Amino acid sequence: MGTVYAKTLIEEEQMKIDENKISLDKIKARVDKVHVDGVGRTKDDILAKAVKDLFQAHNFEELINFFLFLSTLGPEASPDGVEVTFHTVEVRRVVGGVNTLVGNNEGSMVVGMKLPNLGGRGENLQAEYQYGTKRSYGFNATVTKPFIFRGNPRITGAVFQHAADFPWSGFRQIDRGTLLEVAFESAPQIHHSFRWEGIWRELKCALPSTAFAVREETGHSLKSSIKHILTRDTRDNLVLPTAGTFLRLNQELAGLGGDIGFFKQEFEFQFNQNLGYDMILQGSLMGGFMKRTSLDKSFNIADRFFLGGPLSLRGFMMRGVGPHNEDNALGAESYWATGLHLYSPLPFRPGKGGIGELFKTHLFLNVGNIGNFQFSDDYHQNLITLLTNLRLACGAGIVLSVGHVARFELNYCVPIRYQPGDKLNPGLQFGVGVTFL
Amino acid sequence: MPSVLLTESIAVELGAVEPWPDDVKLYQPYEVEQILLPDNASCLSVQAFLKMASLDFQVQMRSNAESMSPSGKVPFIRCGAFVVAEMDPIVAFVNTKGIRLNDHLSDAEKADMRAYMSLVNSVLANAELYICWCHNETFQEVTKPRYGSVYPWPLNHVLCWRKKKSIKKKLASVQWLDKSLEEVYEEVNNCCHAVSERLGTQKYFFGERPTELDALVFGHFFSIITTPLPDNRLAATVRGYQNLIDLCKTVDEKFFQKKQEE
Repeated sequence: MGTVYAKTLIEEEQMKIDENKISLDKIKARVDKVHVDGVGRTKDDILAKAVKDLFQAHNFEELINFFLFLSTLGPEASPDGVEVTFHTVEVRRVVGGVNTLVGNNEGSMVVGMKLPNLGGRGENLQAEYQYGTKRSYGFNATVTKPFIFRGNPRITGAVFQHAADFPWSGFRQIDRGTLLEVAFESAPQIHHSFRWEGIWRELKCALPSTAFAVREETGHSLKSSIKHILTRDTRDNLVLPTAGTFLRLNQELAGLGGDIGFFKQEFEFQFNQNLGYDMILQGSLMGGFMKRTSLDKSFNIADRFFLGGPLSLRGFMMRGVGPHNEDNALGAESYWATGLHLYSPLPFRPGKGGIGELFKTHLFLNVGNIGNFQFSDDYHQNLITLLTNLRLACGAGIVLSVGHVARFELNYCVPIRYQPGDKLNPGLQFGVGVTFL
Repeated sequence: MPSVLLTESIAVELGAVEPWPDDVKLYQPYEVEQILLPDNASCLSVQAFLKMASLDFQVQMRSNAESMSPSGKVPFIRCGAFVVAEMDPIVAFVNTKGIRLNDHLSDAEKADMRAYMSLVNSVLANAELYICWCHNETFQEVTKPRYGSVYPWPLNHVLCWRKKKSIKKKLASVQWLDKSLEEVYEEVNNCCHAVSERLGTQKYFFGERPTELDALVFGHFFSIITTPLPDNRLAATVRGYQNLIDLCKTVDEKFFQKKQEE
């Protein structure tokens, strides 16, 4: 990490340790100077902030907490003073890569380039170009600028285009847009993100047999919206946590320009409780609702909520819960879903302490509901509305954590309560994904 | 994909046995503020054809009719589970139900009819596209505001530019893009002359009963003479052929105004 040039401290100290094992915190030390070698474009104020903590050190123990290697003296030091020199290697100016990506019935090639630390204060410029086997292409260019104030604010700007197929709803969506985001922490672990997005959405029928209700919603629309996302995450792992809670609140107001207008509110909560014997109880609750805000602006199938799928409401097909027309999911304006999982290690613990830790078995119970509910001021009535026609499924299966980011699940599901029109998936169900219920 | 096409064609075959339902709808852009001359011509042609065949339908105007259409072109009809776009496929679809306007024609006349339809499609349709999208004054004053009217800023500019690009590409592929405006009017005049010669003094192209050729010619000519444009030479050219104007009047009175009175 760094090299400390001290006076004759080292030899003295070595002798003392040999003689009577003096504890290091008794030796006074203070940092007089810090040298940073190998810096090209990084600005001084950033470095000053990074090494600021060093100057707080009063004794040797505090000092060596920062470093691994100590050595000789500097010329103009105070009696207890040390000079610190960092030998650093800056990140290259250009980093790039070519990857392949497989998803949603399409394989694609991704060419990426990154210019890290562009202006010397942590600014990043990142660009990505994606070309798919269905001749669809996408790109993404992002500029990020962090600041060194309180709360570590960060400004992000991006322009992008991406295409996605939604075979469960029978359409293909091409998004072209731009976004501007300010993110910061209002308190430790509480992240805020304020965001403006302007997205031109182009919906096309994926098949000639796409439901007519979906066909009616195809075409071009422009969404301009502001969003606030609050996140608090104290979990110890994103995929298979053993402790901690997660909370996300998401508000979106669309209709500042463009022809799409709505107010959308979403929340997501998860807790994890260790029950002992490596058994973990996980509960999660999520929900959302949206409504029109003006008479002349509406929203379409690209904005509505969907429920169902191997990592959502298990036991149902992808987007299989809720309003359908000719086998295509149409989405709805409000939903809620809960999941209760009981995780335990694999039986007989094969690969314990190693690869076996990436696998867990679980029993689960999922309950949820989706629909165009009419809410009133009567909370009791609202609760009844939310609970009528609910869907319930339970089952058991194996979860695999991939790179602590994504999860594979293979489950045996039993849908217990469902409504006519829902698309069920009883029996074995396999799912891959990043978000889960 | 092949399997989908196969099931589609089987479905069309199966659908043929079913009679014409009551709830057939024809989708097209808004007539007053949105539709452009070429689209208006094809929508009127299809409407005229369906009315000539005495088939009931309702006109539905949608701002996104173009995106909804399976071929990306208007108009299209929704008949039961089927969605069929553009004149020729719609005529073919109606024919599968055993309804034909050209039953009284001999084989030679049928071939004649196909030839004239293809002449009208290749000349008049391209000329309309050329004038709407490549004649700068018309584009700025009529096409751009109308095409963009249903989209918010800045989509109105972007989509209009994109459409213009694709139309130019299409016209270039049939060697129309290099033509001057004069050459386009010349082509139109020649086409009108040929069509007018064929019609002669008859009520319809093939005697007393209308065919799809009459529907097509009506759609194009009626649209051209009723659409105001900054450069009205297209309408003026067409107005020079009295027998064609008379045909338009006959079809309009017999199939469109009569229905409205009812």
